[in-house]
Amino acid sequence: MIKKLIISIVIIYFLALVQTSFMVHFSFWGMVPNVFLLFIIIWNVIEKPENSLGLYNAILAGFFSDIFSTRFIGFNVLIFLAIAIILKFLFKRYVRIPFIKEA
Amino acid sequence: MKLSFKKNKVWVGIIIIILIFILLNLFQSQVKGFFYSFSVPIQKPLWRAGENISDFLFSVFTIGKLRNQAEELEFKNQDLIYQISLLSELKEENIILRQALDLELEKEFRLEMAQIIGKDISQEFILINKGAEQGILKDMPVITEQKVLIGRVKEIYNDFSKVMLIFHKESSFDAKIQREEEKDVSGIVKGTGSQGLTLDLIKDEVFEQDIVLTSALGNIFPEGLLVGRIRAIKKSDVETFQQAEIDPAFNISNTNKVFIILEF
Repeated sequence: MIKKLIISIVIIYFLALVQTSFMVHFSFWGMVPNVFLLFIIIWNVIEKPENSLGLYNAILAGFFSDIFSTRFIGFNVLIFLAIAIILKFLFKRYVRIPFIKEA
Repeated sequence: MKLSFKKNKVWVGIIIIILIFILLNLFQSQVKGFFYSFSVPIQKPLWRAGENISDFLFSVFTIGKLRNQAEELEFKNQDLIYQISLLSELKEENIILRQALDLELEKEFRLEMAQIIGKDISQEFILINKGAEQGILKDMPVITEQKVLIGRVKEIYNDFSKVMLIFHKESSFDAKIQREEEKDVSGIVKGTGSQGLTLDLIKDEVFEQDIVLTSALGNIFPEGLLVGRIRAIKKSDVETFQQAEIDPAFNISNTNKVFIILEF
């Protein structure tokens, strides 16, 4: 678990740099794709509902996006964590993806 | 008993996390400064790579439009060459008059050059590589090489600063549209978010393509910095004042270097 978390920290830190320095050049109708949000959604959809790494990743993604934004530290943590919890809840209760269950 | 111990453990965990976040916010500038200090070497090449790739993609997708623009610009260029010749005559005349009146030339701004290294996720703040150690203070204006207003310094760290762009909803300042024969039209430029600007509280008539400049009123920005051009006018018979949308004169994605006005 700790090894996985360290890898997540490195990936999410790199995503933060990509988001703030690279992605900002690609705006569509004034909006820039949020790689953190994509990462959190994809991770929590693919991950087994019983696993909790998706929640830790949401906290880390929120923390790094707060570091590179002007809002107080914790603002994006709450938003991303809420998204991850909702996704986990929905996938645990209502959605079954066969190939993920087999994996 | 076991259950209450487990419950207590959860509560202790939550309280510790809340305390950590409170501490992080209390020392926010140090925490953020620490991360920025070792992120800059990676952010600089990323910014340049993003700029190059987006420029390439933009030129691929808009080649037809660019051809038309080139033709238009050529036409405008010819017109400008004619105007420059007229102005150079006026400049010579002006120099002679200044000498005659013994006037001092206008004091130029004292500037500090900085490089953009990142942009906030909200799109309305940029991070630059100059901070308190280089003499940057809060609310100092930030401009481009062409004296186009970008925004003002909002947060300062040791070697970095955050600049609030003029698009930000909290941004508002006095501006004017110069008229040659009549009185200048004054108004207030407000940020609307999503890279939008409006000119509000306009009393007199304005036209599309009018150039909006900063005004010395309010003493927020020096006079005469370029803000943008009027794109559309919102007329209302009920309202006393008019509103107009402004096309900003800069594109932050194509800007690498900015200047902070230390004194004006």
